Amino acid sequence: MISLNTVLFISSLMFFIGVAGVLIRRNLLIILMSVELMLNAANLNLIAFARYSGTVEGQAFALLVMGFAAAEVAIGLALAVALYRRKDTVQADDINLLNG
Amino acid sequence: MNDATLTHLIPTSLGVSYLWLIPFLPLFGFLLNGLTGRHLRNNSWVNGIALGSVGASFLLSLYYFFQLLQLPEASRSLHQSLWTWFDVGAAQIAGQRLTFATVEWAYKFDVLSAAMALLVTGAGFLIHLFSTGYMEEEQKDFRYYRFMAYLNLFVFSMLNLVLGSNILMMFLGWEGVGLCSYLLIGFYFDKTYAGDAAKKAFVTNRIGDFGFMLGFFLIFMVFGSLDYDTLMGSARSVMALPSITLFGHTASPTFWMNLIGSCLFIGAMGKSAQIPLYVWLPDAMAGPTPVSALIHAATMVTSGLYMITRLNFIFVNAPAALHFILFIGALTALLAASMGLAQYDIKKVLAYSTVSQLGFMFMGMGAGAFTAGMFHVFTHAFFKACLFLGSGSVIMACHHEQDMRNMGGLRKYMPWTFWSMLLSTFAIAGIFPFSGFFSKDEILWKVFEGWYQGGTYQGSTLYLSTWLMGMIAAFFTAFYMMRLICMTFLGNYRGGGEDPYHLTVQGHSHGHDAHGSGTHVPHEVPWNMWVPVFLLALLAVGGGFLNVPHALHVLGHAHFSEWLSPILYQVAAVHEGVEAVSTMEYGLMIWATVIWAPGAMALAYWFYAADPSWSRAQRFVKQYPNLFEWVHARYYIDEFYEALLITPAKRLAGQLWSFDTWVVDGVVNGAARATLLFARISYWFDTYIVDGLVNFVAWLLQQFALLFKALQSGRVQNYAFVMLLGFVLLLFFKFLG
Amino acid sequence: MNALFSTIGQNLFLVFGLLACAGAAVMILSTSAVHSVLGFLFSMIMVAACFLCLHAEFLGMAQLLVYAGGIVVLFLFVVMLVELTKYKEKSLFTTQFKWSLPLVLIALGIFAVTLKSNLFGPAAPVALSLSPDLAQGLSATAQNAQMVSRGLFAGFLLPLEILSVILLVALVGALVLAKSERVS
Repeated sequence: MISLNTVLFISSLMFFIGVAGVLIRRNLLIILMSVELMLNAANLNLIAFARYSGTVEGQAFALLVMGFAAAEVAIGLALAVALYRRKDTVQADDINLLNG
Repeated sequence: MNDATLTHLIPTSLGVSYLWLIPFLPLFGFLLNGLTGRHLRNNSWVNGIALGSVGASFLLSLYYFFQLLQLPEASRSLHQSLWTWFDVGAAQIAGQRLTFATVEWAYKFDVLSAAMALLVTGAGFLIHLFSTGYMEEEQKDFRYYRFMAYLNLFVFSMLNLVLGSNILMMFLGWEGVGLCSYLLIGFYFDKTYAGDAAKKAFVTNRIGDFGFMLGFFLIFMVFGSLDYDTLMGSARSVMALPSITLFGHTASPTFWMNLIGSCLFIGAMGKSAQIPLYVWLPDAMAGPTPVSALIHAATMVTSGLYMITRLNFIFVNAPAALHFILFIGALTALLAASMGLAQYDIKKVLAYSTVSQLGFMFMGMGAGAFTAGMFHVFTHAFFKACLFLGSGSVIMACHHEQDMRNMGGLRKYMPWTFWSMLLSTFAIAGIFPFSGFFSKDEILWKVFEGWYQGGTYQGSTLYLSTWLMGMIAAFFTAFYMMRLICMTFLGNYRGGGEDPYHLTVQGHSHGHDAHGSGTHVPHEVPWNMWVPVFLLALLAVGGGFLNVPHALHVLGHAHFSEWLSPILYQVAAVHEGVEAVSTMEYGLMIWATVIWAPGAMALAYWFYAADPSWSRAQRFVKQYPNLFEWVHARYYIDEFYEALLITPAKRLAGQLWSFDTWVVDGVVNGAARATLLFARISYWFDTYIVDGLVNFVAWLLQQFALLFKALQSGRVQNYAFVMLLGFVLLLFFKFLG
Repeated sequence: MNALFSTIGQNLFLVFGLLACAGAAVMILSTSAVHSVLGFLFSMIMVAACFLCLHAEFLGMAQLLVYAGGIVVLFLFVVMLVELTKYKEKSLFTTQFKWSLPLVLIALGIFAVTLKSNLFGPAAPVALSLSPDLAQGLSATAQNAQMVSRGLFAGFLLPLEILSVILLVALVGALVLAKSERVS
């Protein structure tokens, strides 16, 4: 049976792949997917903790996070579509209205 | 105007509330015609307004005249105050006194004003009527309403002059008639000579007005008021003062009266065309003939006489001023009459005649016989207006020909005009029953009396010499008037190509555009022109009986003198002449009317009518060429003024112009340049020093800000990167530290 | 062979986890957006498998339904909707690529070192348990969904309700944001 640390390592690997996706990609959709990936890594952690402590709260909380993720995706994609309509772009570094 | 106040002793039943309408009706006429005349397509409207307003004014004057007649002699004065014109508060006058006098816009209808108002409106109405015929040509274009409006404005100003109850009101009218004179002389302003004549009249009058203004300023300083009644009432107390100190100069009241009188007379010189300011009047004939009749013969030029009579309380107390007036009057009468002898322009003859007659009037004033002078104003107004209007008819009949050499024989073409003018000629020459005899001989007698002194011959020789000048002037008058009649009406008509003696000249036609120089036949003028002339001639014939001298009391009474007596300061003659009737007076009368004037007329007839080729006159001229030349050229007085006054004035003006251009403008421009330079320096300082400092601070801050600006890229991923960086640093400290 | 299978069976989680990471790597490195979505889909399915390995059967199924069935399809629609070909000439990665990738690796390294030094110790899996009154009549190993639901409704009722409101708000918000602008 694998140890908890292995699970945590896998999940942290996945998490940092997500972080890298957020930081290096210009496409807004892929950034959104990377964020989803990071949330899944967190979920994996929660479930792992539940598995190794025997409590059900970890799984219940993972379910809530999944719901949040669904809401976040809906809003994010709507924003992306609206941005595309308004600005004719989905490139994240084109959106720099706060540029000083 | 509803609160017009009634003053003095007038019973309220008489009412003076419409007195203001006498001057204001012509003003309304002026406004109506002047503002709407251009749009009144029908000239009968213009005529109706102009004649109606003056006619109504005349009737109103007549009504108030009869009101005056019903009053006792001492209180014959109606007064209507409309509003306060000037309220100066307190003013310090001579002798450290304070005056609180106000100047009212008030009208005073007393014996003198009544007579003058009747003259102005009556003669004015007849002349308006004449104008409707005379200005026939102007009716075709849009000048006619302007002419009638000016005439109405003139009547308003003149009525303001004679009806005003204080000197300032008189001055308003005085300036108003000057303005109207300017406008009317320059009526044909598209002609250079008319414009020049108008300017000459205006400027010459300004010189006189300057004296007039000084005069009434002095009156205000001495008396502390400008109201006639107040002045008249305080005259005796002022004269009783031991001395008057004004402007640091102390002198007797008589001195100040002489000064005031002389200043006022300078004003009268300008307005009433006396030497040396008479030069504008002959040139003023450039205006239409009715204007000459109305303004320059009947009314305006008499305003100086009116002023002296009105202010007689000053002049009675100013013997030196009176002598001055007497001398100037006599000199003017003589010189102007002599100038009239050698003129060919019919209007010029009458113009010099007017100047000469005005000289007679001033002689009367100078002799202290104010009523005699005033009476001559009236008779002269009748016969001179008649002569002027008659000459206008003649000019029109001859198609705007003014040179008498091109006339002649008009008697059979225009009988009404001929008889009217002949009667007026007898009047001006002073033949017995005609009006001129009563007025002119009265003046000459009063002057003579100054020397005669009731048979003692102890008066000043000034009176004798001026009397002699007057007699010669009277001789000249009779001569040139008969000459005018002979050249114009007797003999054969010389226009239209008939000229057996080669007397006509191809002259420049002064006046209107000369047309119809070909054959034409003169004709009598329409009724609206000869009727006024004839009416005036009748007045000229009968007017004399209004003031029959004491010596001829069998013929009538001296109504006019008695009528005017309430306004006189002193009824007796100034030179203390004895009023007694003497054989000397009868002798002089007979001499004047039987030998002197008829002799002159006979001489003129002998020269010009008995000899249709004028060979006697030409022989006389050949014999004394220089004399004729001098007289014909009016003694070169205009040229003398040109050389002595106008050229230096022009040169001075030129020098002032140079001074203004080079020095004054130079200083101004220099100041402007200096200011500009200073402004440039200040601009430079502001731009580079002040703004530089401010901008430097801003630049510093900007550079500082640029350092940190790069951090704010606006890109979310940069911020996320920084977040991760912080996270990693935290990890270092937490797990590896 | 059996040993191998046994080893694999024992380490099944490790296989699925690495495959999920591989899918994720495909997702962030692929030049085509559709390939990225497919990589993401693969990764999600592998994560669901990981859940199953960790004895979270209900969540594994939910993961499949929510992600593979819903979210990925949504992404695919949007990718089709947005014309991405016009960004072809632009570079795929941001300019901070060369800074951020080492930083990510450093962070991962720190995690790896930390986990290697056995932060939590060798923990053994423990069966799910509930408080006795909640767990009445339930088998912790066989009835996972019931266990989760009881735990959820017992301890997380209020968050669940809040989540439902949030989902509703997200639904409405997405509608408002994405609908075409009305011509005013």
